[in-house]
Amino acid sequence: MTAGRDDARAGRLMLAPALIALAVLAAWPGLWVLWLSLQRRIPVFGIERFVGPAHYAFLAVDPRFWNALKVTLIFTFASVTLEFLLGIAVALALQGQRRGRRLAVALLLLPWALPSVVTGRTFEWLYHPSAGLLNFVLGGAAINWLGEPVLALPALIAADVWRTMPFVALLCYARVLTIAPDIYEAARVDGAGTVATVRDITLPLLRRVLLIALLFRTLDALRAFDLMFVLTGGGPANTTETLTVYAYRSLFQTLQLGFGAAIGVVVFALVMLVAWGYLRAMARDEEAA
Amino acid sequence: MVPEPSACGGMVSGTIARVTPRIFNVPAAQYFVVRWRPAALLVVVAALVAGCTGGPAAQEPITLVFKHAKILGPADPVPGLLKEFERRHPGVRVQAESLSWNSDDQHQFFVINLEGRGTAFDVMMLDVIWVAEFARAGWLLDLSAWVSPAELAPHFPSTIEPATWSGRVWAMPWLMNVGILYYRADLLAKHRLQPPETWEALVDQVVRIRTAEHDPRLDGVLWQGRQYEGLTVNALEAMWANGARVFGADGAIFPEEERAAGGLSLLRALIVSGVSPSWVTAADEELSRRHFGDGRAIFLRNWPYAMDLFQAASSPVRGRVGIAPLPGRVGGAASAASSGGAHLGVNRRTRHPELAAALVRFLAGAEAQKAMAIGGALNPTRMALYQDRDVVRVHPDFPAVHDLMLRARTRPVTPAYLMVSTTLQPEFSAALVGVKSPRQAIEHARLRLGYLLEGLQ
Repeated sequence: MTAGRDDARAGRLMLAPALIALAVLAAWPGLWVLWLSLQRRIPVFGIERFVGPAHYAFLAVDPRFWNALKVTLIFTFASVTLEFLLGIAVALALQGQRRGRRLAVALLLLPWALPSVVTGRTFEWLYHPSAGLLNFVLGGAAINWLGEPVLALPALIAADVWRTMPFVALLCYARVLTIAPDIYEAARVDGAGTVATVRDITLPLLRRVLLIALLFRTLDALRAFDLMFVLTGGGPANTTETLTVYAYRSLFQTLQLGFGAAIGVVVFALVMLVAWGYLRAMARDEEAA
Repeated sequence: MVPEPSACGGMVSGTIARVTPRIFNVPAAQYFVVRWRPAALLVVVAALVAGCTGGPAAQEPITLVFKHAKILGPADPVPGLLKEFERRHPGVRVQAESLSWNSDDQHQFFVINLEGRGTAFDVMMLDVIWVAEFARAGWLLDLSAWVSPAELAPHFPSTIEPATWSGRVWAMPWLMNVGILYYRADLLAKHRLQPPETWEALVDQVVRIRTAEHDPRLDGVLWQGRQYEGLTVNALEAMWANGARVFGADGAIFPEEERAAGGLSLLRALIVSGVSPSWVTAADEELSRRHFGDGRAIFLRNWPYAMDLFQAASSPVRGRVGIAPLPGRVGGAASAASSGGAHLGVNRRTRHPELAAALVRFLAGAEAQKAMAIGGALNPTRMALYQDRDVVRVHPDFPAVHDLMLRARTRPVTPAYLMVSTTLQPEFSAALVGVKSPRQAIEHARLRLGYLLEGLQ
């Protein structure tokens, strides 16, 4: 028994650095933000006092907050859905390709590898009302992509899909490569067509990897910030203002640290909730398998 | 009191404690020095002796750090000016560190560092709208001891108000900006028109010229309607022209409510009637400047920087652009253009207040501003330079710009300016794109502003 206890102690000891690092880097700042969100703290005006849940009470009736939440959820749902449909399609197309796979993968990586601000600037030019490629291709139309309330958010979603679809596509492609050819061989012998093969073999085998990709992409999309910040600044009329943009404006532009922290906590809670849902789904999946 | 580093003798007694941290330059070393003072003292004395025998050149000079936005323009005159300052202050080095050109990024950088009690920089270039905020936060050194009201008098009046918020001098004006109406002089001359004095006249002219030119690609008037600070500026100008203010003298919000809504109605009407293309709601300075610069609009509201670009050798509109005051309104006020630009302030935690203030006064002085005006594409804040023969030779439009700048109006000077502006932007934007009526937008803006300012009491 002594040996076992020694082992356990050694194990704890070895885990300690990681746990300490996590505590210092994640838990401590997290708790600090939570504490901050219970205060009204505006350094410029020397205001620093405890207000309890007052910021949360205000958020509950703040139309700007609810609008930002709505924008965030629409953005997340639409962009993740499109990324998955396109990403899976691209992975399957790559699988069927005989030549030039390497080149295709390299090209696919390009949007994913670009810094997001560069992506933002690129799309700024694509969407340019008078000199943009998009309007040129559409026959010189003067479509106001980023300045029209109904178009701005879809335009941002399109940019986000272009940027992150490769992530999904490459993850799926990597999994597809590991599917043993004899499974397909057997399917063919059994007389399965292309559609049946994809539906009954490829997609079920992709399930695990898709769940993981879904988790990553959803969490990223919920925290979306850079594209709207560069392309629209949250406008027009706040139709593209996500929760993180609202938090940024409150924290860094107008220095309402407590209030901004409260929005940050809400984003955190939202992300945790979604992550928890996915993790549960994955666990159930594992049990079933 | 700043130790004079070139004189060895003067450094011995009271200044040792001051010198040590600078040698090590990290807080941990400071702690070490406190605990091991005798040993450290010995080291310092040894260093001083070595320094003295080695001559003054071996000593570490005082370094001032000047944080400024990237200076855009044909040539950057700042390094030369800093050299000159170093020549006049032996033993002082000035290190210029540039920040991104994006105003939001600069603000964020300063806020994080100043709130974190940073001392990594001494002198900073501030957007004029931040001065009151930084002063209220206690981040700026009060310059009243060095800068008298008389020293500020040669600068444009609209630059002095922000610099002297709450009766003290917090910064010195450095670069000037003002909203200007650019017009296609060739088109106006062809149709025998004078630059419009009111928005009503401008709309008439656009309709007339476009009807006669039969050019579907020629737009009327361009301005900045994207949801950012530029929108606040454009909307304020439209409201001022209509005789409305954001704050009354008693602090009332939008005291002329109808007229404020009328300002927004004008902007909305420009878009609806097609006098402005619908994409002005996504336009910033550069987007609108390029379009006008390609010869595709009759009028443009922008800052003075655009003139040099329109007059560049490769510009399609070279020699065909005129400038005029922004239009007023029939039954409203005369032209009202917003001022802009940059001030120079000193970090309150600087270790060299005397020298930092000297650097600010030097850079804001006539000589330095003249060099900036001639070398860079930037506009000085000192009025006399707009008549200076050497400057006018490089910038022939300066005397005309001077008259426009003299009439410039400041955006509300308040420490809460950014809160006010970012609260107004979504409301203004909503009115421009037709999501809210102008009156609704003003009503909502007033409610939100009221709540916000109440929270600051």
